[in-house]
Amino acid sequence: MKKAASEEPDEQLTVTKPKAWAAGVPAVAHALEYSLDQTSAPRVGTTLLAINQVNGIDCPGCAWADPSPGHRHLNEYCENGAKHINDEATSRRITSDFFRRYSVAELNRQSDLWLNQQGRLTEPMVKRPDSDHYEPISWPEALGLLAGELRELDSPDEAAFYTSGRVSNEAAFLLQLFARAYGTNNLPDCSNLCHESSGFALAETLGTGKGTVSLEDIHHADLIFLVGQNPGTNHPRQLSALEEAKHNGARIIAVNPLPEAGLMRFKNPQKPSGIIGRGVQIADRFLQVRAGGDLALFQGLNRLLLEAEDSRPGAVLDHDFIRSNTSGFEEFSRHARSIAWEDILTATGLTREEIGQAADDVMRSERVIVCWAMGVTQHRHAVPTIREIVNFLLLRGNLGKPGAGACPVRGHSNVQGDRTMGIWERMPDIFLDALRKEFDFEPPRAHGVDAVNAIRAMREGRIKVFVGVAGNFVRAAPDSNATEDALRQCSLTAHISTKLNRSHTVCGRTALILPALGRTERDIQATGEQFVTVENSMSEVHTSQGRLEPASRTLLSEVAIICRLARLTLNGKADIPWEQFEGDYGLIRDRISNVIPGFQHFNRRVVRPGGIRLPNPVNEGVFHTRTDKALFTCNEWQMSEAPEGHLVLQTLRSHDQWNTIPYTDNDRYRGIHGSRRVVMVNPEDLSRLDLAEGQLVDLVSVWGDGVERRAEGFRTVPYPTALGCAAAYYPEANVLAPLDSVAETSNQPAYKGIVVRLEPAAEG
Amino acid sequence: MNTVEETIDVAVPVRTAYNQWTQFESFPRFMTVVKGVHQIRPNLTHWVLGRGPLRHEFDVEIVEQVPDSHVAWRSLDRRFMHRGKVSFRATAPDRTEVVVRMHFGSNGVGLLAHLPTLAHRVVQAELGHFKEFIESVGQEGGAWRGSIRNGHVYPAEPEPARSQVPHWPVG
Repeated sequence: MKKAASEEPDEQLTVTKPKAWAAGVPAVAHALEYSLDQTSAPRVGTTLLAINQVNGIDCPGCAWADPSPGHRHLNEYCENGAKHINDEATSRRITSDFFRRYSVAELNRQSDLWLNQQGRLTEPMVKRPDSDHYEPISWPEALGLLAGELRELDSPDEAAFYTSGRVSNEAAFLLQLFARAYGTNNLPDCSNLCHESSGFALAETLGTGKGTVSLEDIHHADLIFLVGQNPGTNHPRQLSALEEAKHNGARIIAVNPLPEAGLMRFKNPQKPSGIIGRGVQIADRFLQVRAGGDLALFQGLNRLLLEAEDSRPGAVLDHDFIRSNTSGFEEFSRHARSIAWEDILTATGLTREEIGQAADDVMRSERVIVCWAMGVTQHRHAVPTIREIVNFLLLRGNLGKPGAGACPVRGHSNVQGDRTMGIWERMPDIFLDALRKEFDFEPPRAHGVDAVNAIRAMREGRIKVFVGVAGNFVRAAPDSNATEDALRQCSLTAHISTKLNRSHTVCGRTALILPALGRTERDIQATGEQFVTVENSMSEVHTSQGRLEPASRTLLSEVAIICRLARLTLNGKADIPWEQFEGDYGLIRDRISNVIPGFQHFNRRVVRPGGIRLPNPVNEGVFHTRTDKALFTCNEWQMSEAPEGHLVLQTLRSHDQWNTIPYTDNDRYRGIHGSRRVVMVNPEDLSRLDLAEGQLVDLVSVWGDGVERRAEGFRTVPYPTALGCAAAYYPEANVLAPLDSVAETSNQPAYKGIVVRLEPAAEG
Repeated sequence: MNTVEETIDVAVPVRTAYNQWTQFESFPRFMTVVKGVHQIRPNLTHWVLGRGPLRHEFDVEIVEQVPDSHVAWRSLDRRFMHRGKVSFRATAPDRTEVVVRMHFGSNGVGLLAHLPTLAHRVVQAELGHFKEFIESVGQEGGAWRGSIRNGHVYPAEPEPARSQVPHWPVG
């Protein structure tokens, strides 16, 4: 293990050619190097041999599904998963001395990278209103302080409880139970920021909020679209599934503004061909769409399919499926033909020939899957885009049959499970009624706030207490200045955390750090060693059991912290056995069985190897929509437009980053080293804007509220991104995303459609 | 393409024969070659045949299924391409004729390449096991009465138990 640097590194930006392939030997080397910098070889061995194994530790990284038991590799993880798990397993520790040394203001001047590198939090800390330092506090005092503040609020709706996608099903179920027994539905979560648009669009059109495909479907597809996603960095194990699909004869069409390495070629380090060979080509066709052009692309494809059916009646569309399982086809068919090709080509930046070739691929394929991620969901018109993807799938019956379907790819290990467990500010009455019956209290019915509305409410003083369970809300949220102001308005902010991050340094008048056990660690309670459960992106619910000794003896599990806080806050309100829940997580799962459909006999079933697969109603021929059929929808053409002299900026992760936390300042796939303050721009745009390579610029976003949002001191990097588009890393660029710039219907921040201008800045 | 067709007469009503046959996960109870079946969804099953070096796993899509009439399937494994159909016909109120027809692709590799030549014996023997089983137990061990058309599932009732899962939006 290396000690954390006490000073920020002083590196210079260097730019090399972007890589044309992902993974391979360098992925293994980088994963091991980072892991061994963090902790000892035996601990690295323990985590890496347990990660994603049956009865092992679920990778706290992305939510990609594991192969079925008996088909997993000895090393069933990716570079980023290995880094992520050992980032948690680090041997570095933060003690009270650290907080005596650095004031909150000093910590806030440090980078996100530096804060994370300091190691694991080991004891509860408090920052009192009259102090600028965190100081130690006992657990009873800390939880008593928070409970007291909650009890003194004028209304339970003056508190908000945020959940990150790392939180287990058990902790999530208890958190929503506590919030509702306390009296509020204010349960913002990271889903509000990542796939909320998918949930809304899929629930409306298909009657299910989840993806319809499993790994078998990926393996057996004839054609897979990867739209607005970067699997090489954000869900690298998807590449293994894509490799198998290619091996079985599938074609892949990648749709993205940037030609990401992981979309081009994959060298599987588990195979000789990936170590010494050329690996496997991923995309057979790359459509370099303009940011926000996906809606128009699928409108173009749908129009071509309809027109092909006109020429060859009965040969293109699945009429039997459309007649039996869908509604709204006629209206959709009329609307789809009315969208002008000129508009489609403007929005996509593609040629008609390129779209036509993709449509030919579709018509040659019996089974088609569309995968998508934030490149689709984080636009103003994300919900119509996903509805249009559903139209596309419905036309040829590509839903509900093997090898076909809709695949929103989720980026955080239990983000789907947390929502299943009721972490949502507007849960339906059927769920609230089940809670009332099970626990004998009346849950609040008024909808709560999501992430964006929580920020608004904090700014306006309507929310005074913010509790974050895991995550780094301040850096995940848009409009950084507005979000920071909002958090600072709070009377109290409390974070249940494993590591230090910006959400501890941008805080309310009183702030609490409540250090929790990590997923890698043994969790021993009154009835013995516990496990937790999680749900992956493909609706498989399985166990996760920590193996390492905890970072500190005084850490409490997330479940224990919530139970203790609930007891102190609710003081006997409702018939909820918090003490027993803390002692035996099996009792929590028994209650989940009683409240959540599909979880019958949860305890018994989840311990089977591989766990439980929650069926998807679409695959059972059931559509829980307003017509009891899948809905075709009519979506107006829209695009992300930038006025002359401006670009459409998307925020994205570097390869050496997990969510809001960078691990280094390098992004080796994109050839960027030593700095994160870069803006990637097409060379033609640079020249059109009269900017030089490597020039220092400020990014200024354009939004009609009179607020200037400026990200200072970014270097231009000529990059083969789509014309008219730019890209910069989050969280640094989140300052540019206006709080009110959100997706229609889903209220999800539009991080991928920020209109910016690049203003030359003075050097030095 | 090799084709195998085998027929057997079983002394149970057509509904009983059909219902038992479509409980695919019960096949290892009475078949010799089939070691495991997992029904992932009504139209997707995973099969394990044989043991040791002869072990082979593959996924099968059920393309058509009509209660008391027939089930048609195709393998989704390019190493063991085959498709098949089993038909059920009532020859008397308590007698059913079961016909299995299988078509094997020519691209099998290794031991699988020889399977088509063995197939008629294997299918004949396994049909015999089915007859022995269902006639001796007399009643089916379960039933799924939905249908499948062109790969799509049409449930027998509007809210099958398996569709009762959370369907609120997931962000």
